[in-house]
Amino acid sequence: MTPPPALSAVPTPEAAPAPGDSKINRDLLRVMEGASPGYFLLLGATVLVVTAAALTWIYQIYIGLGVAGYTHPVFWGVYIVTFVFWVGIAHAGTLISAILYLFRAKWRNAINRSAEAMTVMAVMTAGMFLGIHVGRIWKAYFILPYPNQRGLWVNFRSPLEWDTFAISTYATISIVFLYIGLIPDLAIARDRFAGWRRLLYTALALGWQGTSRQWKAHTRSVLHLSGLATPLVLSVHSVVSWDFAMSIVPGWHATIFAPYFVAGAIFSGFAMVLTVMIPVRRIFGLEEYITDYHFENMARFILLTSLIVGYAYVTEYFVAWYSGVEAEQTSFWLRAFGPYWFSTWTMIVCNVVFPQLFWFKRLRTHVPTLFVVSTFVNIGMWFERYVIIITGLSREYDPAVWGVYTPTWAELTILAGSFAFFAMLFLLFLKIFPVIAIAEVKELAIHDRAHGAHGAH
Amino acid sequence: MAAGTAGLLWTKASADEPLVASSVCEAHELKARLAEDPELAVVIPPEFDKPWPSLAACRSHEAAWDPDAPGPHQPIPFSHKHHSGTFGVDCQYCHSGTDRSRMAGVPSVELCMGCHAQFPAEYDQLEGIQILKQHWEQQRPVEWVQIHRLPEHVKFQHQAHVRAGFACQDCHGPVEELDKLYLVPETKWWQYGLPTQKLEMGWCVMCHRDAGASTDCLTCHY
Amino acid sequence: MPEIDRRGFLKLAGASAGAAAAAGCSDHVEKLIPYVVQPEEVTPGVPVWYASTCRECPAGCGVLVKTRESRPIKLEGNPEHPINRGRLCAKGQASVERTYSPDRFHGPVRRNAAGELEPTTWDEAIAEVAAAIRANPARVRVLGGDPGDTASQLIDRFVAATGAGGRVVSIPFAREALRAATEQVFGVASEPIFDLSGADLVIDFGSELFESGLSPIEHQRQWAEARDVATHPDGGLRLVYVGSRLSLTASSSDEWLVAKPGSEGLLALALARAAIEAGAGGGAHAGLLSGPLANAGADAAARATDVPAEAIRRIGAALARARAAVALPPGHAVASRRAVGASAAVLLLNEVIGAVGSRVIVAAPEGAPRQRASYKDLLALIREMQDGQVDVLLVHHMNPVYSIPVSAGFADALAKVKLVVSFASAADETALRAHVVLPDHTALESWGDARPRPGVRSLVQPTLRPLYDTRAFGDALLDVGRAVSPEAAAQLPAGSFRTLLEANWTGTDFRAALKSGGVYQPASHAASGFAASKVEVAEPVFTGDGELTLLAVPHIFLWDGSGAALPVLQEIPDPVARVAWDSWAEVSLATADRLGVEMGDVLRLESSAGAIEVAVLPRGGIRDDVIAVPTGQGHVVGHFASKAGQGLVGVARGGNVFDLLPGDGVDESGGRAFLTERPRVSATGRHRRLPLLQWNDNKRERQLGEAMTLAALAGHGEAHAEHHGPHEMREPYDPAADAADLQYQETFHERGENSAKASPYRWGMSVDLDRCTGCSACIAACYVENNLPRVGEDETRLVRQMAWLRIDRWVGEGEPELKGGRVRAPRSREQLGDTDIRNAPLLCQHCGAAPCEPVCPVIATYHNEEGLNAMIYNRCIGTRYCANNCPYKVRRFNYWDHQLTKWPAPMELMLNPDVTVRGQGVMEKCTFCVQRIQAARQDAKNAGMLIPDGAVKTACQQACPSAVYTFGNLRDPDSQVSKASAAPQRGYHALHMLNTRPAVTYLAKVLRGKVEGSPS
Repeated sequence: MTPPPALSAVPTPEAAPAPGDSKINRDLLRVMEGASPGYFLLLGATVLVVTAAALTWIYQIYIGLGVAGYTHPVFWGVYIVTFVFWVGIAHAGTLISAILYLFRAKWRNAINRSAEAMTVMAVMTAGMFLGIHVGRIWKAYFILPYPNQRGLWVNFRSPLEWDTFAISTYATISIVFLYIGLIPDLAIARDRFAGWRRLLYTALALGWQGTSRQWKAHTRSVLHLSGLATPLVLSVHSVVSWDFAMSIVPGWHATIFAPYFVAGAIFSGFAMVLTVMIPVRRIFGLEEYITDYHFENMARFILLTSLIVGYAYVTEYFVAWYSGVEAEQTSFWLRAFGPYWFSTWTMIVCNVVFPQLFWFKRLRTHVPTLFVVSTFVNIGMWFERYVIIITGLSREYDPAVWGVYTPTWAELTILAGSFAFFAMLFLLFLKIFPVIAIAEVKELAIHDRAHGAHGAH
Repeated sequence: MAAGTAGLLWTKASADEPLVASSVCEAHELKARLAEDPELAVVIPPEFDKPWPSLAACRSHEAAWDPDAPGPHQPIPFSHKHHSGTFGVDCQYCHSGTDRSRMAGVPSVELCMGCHAQFPAEYDQLEGIQILKQHWEQQRPVEWVQIHRLPEHVKFQHQAHVRAGFACQDCHGPVEELDKLYLVPETKWWQYGLPTQKLEMGWCVMCHRDAGASTDCLTCHY
Repeated sequence: MPEIDRRGFLKLAGASAGAAAAAGCSDHVEKLIPYVVQPEEVTPGVPVWYASTCRECPAGCGVLVKTRESRPIKLEGNPEHPINRGRLCAKGQASVERTYSPDRFHGPVRRNAAGELEPTTWDEAIAEVAAAIRANPARVRVLGGDPGDTASQLIDRFVAATGAGGRVVSIPFAREALRAATEQVFGVASEPIFDLSGADLVIDFGSELFESGLSPIEHQRQWAEARDVATHPDGGLRLVYVGSRLSLTASSSDEWLVAKPGSEGLLALALARAAIEAGAGGGAHAGLLSGPLANAGADAAARATDVPAEAIRRIGAALARARAAVALPPGHAVASRRAVGASAAVLLLNEVIGAVGSRVIVAAPEGAPRQRASYKDLLALIREMQDGQVDVLLVHHMNPVYSIPVSAGFADALAKVKLVVSFASAADETALRAHVVLPDHTALESWGDARPRPGVRSLVQPTLRPLYDTRAFGDALLDVGRAVSPEAAAQLPAGSFRTLLEANWTGTDFRAALKSGGVYQPASHAASGFAASKVEVAEPVFTGDGELTLLAVPHIFLWDGSGAALPVLQEIPDPVARVAWDSWAEVSLATADRLGVEMGDVLRLESSAGAIEVAVLPRGGIRDDVIAVPTGQGHVVGHFASKAGQGLVGVARGGNVFDLLPGDGVDESGGRAFLTERPRVSATGRHRRLPLLQWNDNKRERQLGEAMTLAALAGHGEAHAEHHGPHEMREPYDPAADAADLQYQETFHERGENSAKASPYRWGMSVDLDRCTGCSACIAACYVENNLPRVGEDETRLVRQMAWLRIDRWVGEGEPELKGGRVRAPRSREQLGDTDIRNAPLLCQHCGAAPCEPVCPVIATYHNEEGLNAMIYNRCIGTRYCANNCPYKVRRFNYWDHQLTKWPAPMELMLNPDVTVRGQGVMEKCTFCVQRIQAARQDAKNAGMLIPDGAVKTACQQACPSAVYTFGNLRDPDSQVSKASAAPQRGYHALHMLNTRPAVTYLAKVLRGKVEGSPS
């Protein structure tokens, strides 16, 4: 994908911070030190919700999936919706780290670390939902192609099998990516902290000394990893979209699903980064490093992908009409005016209407607006998956078994749990690892000092 | 009784006090030992100096309840070795369903009595026979512990395999050599170099492959 | 949450992959418990069949009871039996559940001082009853239904021997009016036998011949055979239905005359007159025109009945022309206070059209207990009880507290009786009011016999040892009688009931009868002459000032309420209303709007006799002046009959419509009348979500339930296309394409060497919509055969039923949403007089290119060499993708561990051991009864041959009264199914546009159009 013009734009001097390294260290590592009661309050809250969700899951495993709102013919529900949602969230990370890295978009440096971290956490959350969804998790290992005495093999024709591979691959790459990027910062942290942290960072820093050889190896490995990761950004969500596109369900069986889902994923990914980073920046006073300039670029990205997504919505309806397939037409008609009209219109308003505000620079740079809009985008993107999955299933080929699905307390608890889980992991990450890539920020600072006002090559 | 015999077997005999048999089974054992060293002092009361129950019967009867032998404890010390080994009773005489049903079938108490009712009364000294006759008098079924067990979702067809000419031993092991029955372990190496145990799916499938039988899942799972 | 058992523990442990491996193999001890004495006919693992008789309804069908290890697990029709010829309805299929009902008494019980029922011994119980009888025999009464022929005679001897005050036979749905009418006009007090075989025009005046009719299975078979388009190019039999509601029968009729309820008699006379005027009987009946038919002119009748005069004349002419016409008498729902007149009128019509003697046979009564049922006597008995003239009341084979209208005061009168003795085998409303219960065996446990009709004697024989300490009704009665006094004992027959039965069958070859299920002779017409002058038809009389006439419709499954205790019958949705586990009130859409209610709003029905509250179900197919409520629900006792939760006694499930009927609602002969009320109907403002299985009858032109006109069948293509819309009709079974499909499957599914040689089988099925009435016998058979869990009301409300086979009910072709415009809450699209209803049984289509197969990540579902779409439960991990991708939505998912929750002991005993009981979290679906295929394969192997055609009958095929299903091998060009699937023009594949290449070929329904008056 080609980056929008804004990306190649020269960072404005005032945007590029140039304080001394030690200050950068201090500023950025301060985030990791000590913790306010507020922090613990927040963490405790998330842990509480996660526990509730975990208990619900255990109960569901014991008593049966009936606790969810499934009905004939809606066999997939909130769990799969949420799975797709989190896979989508996972995309901004790789995009920012890999693609923007390859495009040398320097504005990414301030946010790439948090984005990568979110990727890993989102993938973990998403992966869990596959387990929550299946009927017999105690047999779920059947899905792995391992040699067994039964002589049974898995079905490589099944999109769910592809999912298994796509998700695990993506998880591996993102974790490696995050870790490699962390190494120099871990070294800095190692030299700064004492006690158990020192031990931890010493172990993780792999004896990093910052020698030129190490730097060379480091940059090269990041470069190559970016190369490896780039196709994943496109592949993973394409594969996930095929779960639907490969089926014959009206409203699922569409050729545009892959690009449509990828765009949506990036869309929601950036939105999530904004939603998370805005409060973080505020709380830890990182305005100097994460500037409105960064936010604005992300806003531009959101605007772009919002347009793509909006275009996909239109295309879906057009194709449904143009196909002349009555089942498709009925399905889409009911999508807009049937029992699920609410979800559909929520999705359209949140994903297509609100982002249009970003045409105006004043709103793009107005942080509260950014926060509100990005939150709405997250809601909208969850509903997008809800609309696609639920309305598709509830109105299929045999009108005699049309049904209406409504989520139950169990599903909602676990849904809430997934957000809490994500938040919990991020809160822990904040305190244990540098949330901003110190080394890269320094690099940027040095670079800018060297080239004075003109940061371009 | 069983313990007594065992005790007698291992006591070192001393010249002054002779060994006294307290049951026909013991008498058999003592006779056997007397055959080995003639100067052994042995007293066999006339009431125990009888041919029945035979030595083989006594030994099988004891071994069938040998707590040290592998396998579960059965309500009756029934010895497959004694019946199908020594006497060569055909498996299908008792497990009559094997060639015409899915199930092999476990013999009814009536069937056991069919033979045992005709045997000399001396046999009643054996505890197993006593238990059997109690069951018969009280018309109470015997609750055998199942040894060769497949899960409910496996629909094994005995008749298909028996009619195809497979020997019972192919799956059940050398039953006719066992006093106390147990699942004789057998490990085969699955083509992918994986071990598979007796009565595991891989074990079945292998045989089906070799015999050219259907390996369609529906053959056994429905 | 229940305490954690082993399974549950493994489930939890399984959450971690490591322990999951262990979950597969269980190491708990299994006991092998052989027989003490093994019956020589029993081989473990091989089913044994016994011929017996179904006791669920008066029709008295013959059954073959399938037992495994001497446990009955399924009932199938007895092919030798003249009435059902090997078929069996849903009630019969479900009746096996009676024996395993958790509501059964485990032994005799008596009411103690505290007023609770407590277990007692037989000796004590019998002594107590005998003593009470001895005290004052004259004040003893016996009340009951149809206990069977011999048992009934025994009761008479018991009454005589003990000097008991009297015996009353009462059956809620006895046809007293018909019997009385027959006596009037023929002088013979018995129910005529109606024979539809070979008929070409049948007029049903509301007998509901396919549901609560005189002999539903028999008539359904005869109807289907008489109109098979393969043998009758002209479409064969035409069925005209007279009634105010689009019932199951009406849905299968060719013309529906929407008559005013209760006006059947008038219409019959009008038709008779029209027929005579059109030349029926060649002037033989001209005398009638001045007699009873004097003022039965078409126009007058049209005003009285709401049936257009044109239709009356047209059908009259058709009757005159018809080669073999029959008219069926009014049924229970329309039995008004003038029911005898109406029945007589219908008999008169039969006389006029020359059906009497050939298709209407009036045989001499053989004293079948059913023929003695008298509501008059029952009312008299109630009066005696109220006056305290009854000390001891013996109740057998009946649940009067439920089935007699409350206003008749039976329940209160019962309180005045010193000792109430019940012989019920399972707890019901009456038994729980009794002082002593002497529990009877169930039909599967006991000896007995029945006289379904003159000429037919049918045996009931035990098929398992009684599960509990119960005693056959006959033996219990003998014991009581003998204990009363030596004199009584002397007068009673010696020996047991079994010996009495055999004695009663002397003169027949009892052994042969045991094999064939009974002795069968054709009935001979015994009546001569016809007393037309006795026919007096009058307008029905109604009580109540409501605008709506109450129609108490006998529920096709629950019958008089006896079916409510059987979970299968509760679980299967009503074929017309699609409601399960609840009762409902049908009103027309207009009426619903007038009352301001919508689907599920609770209505209050208030009559002079009582009031009930039921949820409303607005329909198009019902007159505006009628409100119809099905019978059978409203029980307060029973695990399944009531909303009992886990207990025995609970709150009423739905409403009992009998409570609305007046106790004194009787016809001219004193028989029980059901069409008597005009209740006040009002909305309560409350709403209840009905357990509704299909709320959308618009198939929007999709290829699901097709139909074609006779003209189209005759090959006029344009009519054909115009009726069917754009999609082409069929894709005949193509072996080449099929082989390609299988090859395609093969490449992805690794098999053993044997897969090299192509299988000689390709299992397939044809489903003939032209024969399907929607009676749902197939569904019940599937439930029992395949261990389908009955999920209960709440799960049904969530549409989580586990039925492998369902019947979609469509009204016409329907139209697409977009044509329909803005989406509204779906409304019934039925219309008065429109009978284009398509019942489309939908089961797994075993597609050649199945959408469900490629999406399963673990190959738990795949295609085997024989074209079966296999579903391997123990491989399934429950991703449910297959179900999403199945366009027919025939896959069902186990959301719970049904086998733990839905089979209260001892119901697990009726599970079919040849079918795996599915655990929680796995998908399941129709397997084409693969267990039967495998059994047949083994037999064929033993015989060294291929499976012969017809050797495998699926459960649904076996049960279907009208032979809708044909199953067999499509690779064999001569097999029945190959021939049926190749039926010219009618064949099509469901949702053909998706190219799933189903193994199931549907044969379109044939729309025969209205009856033609003049030859065309």
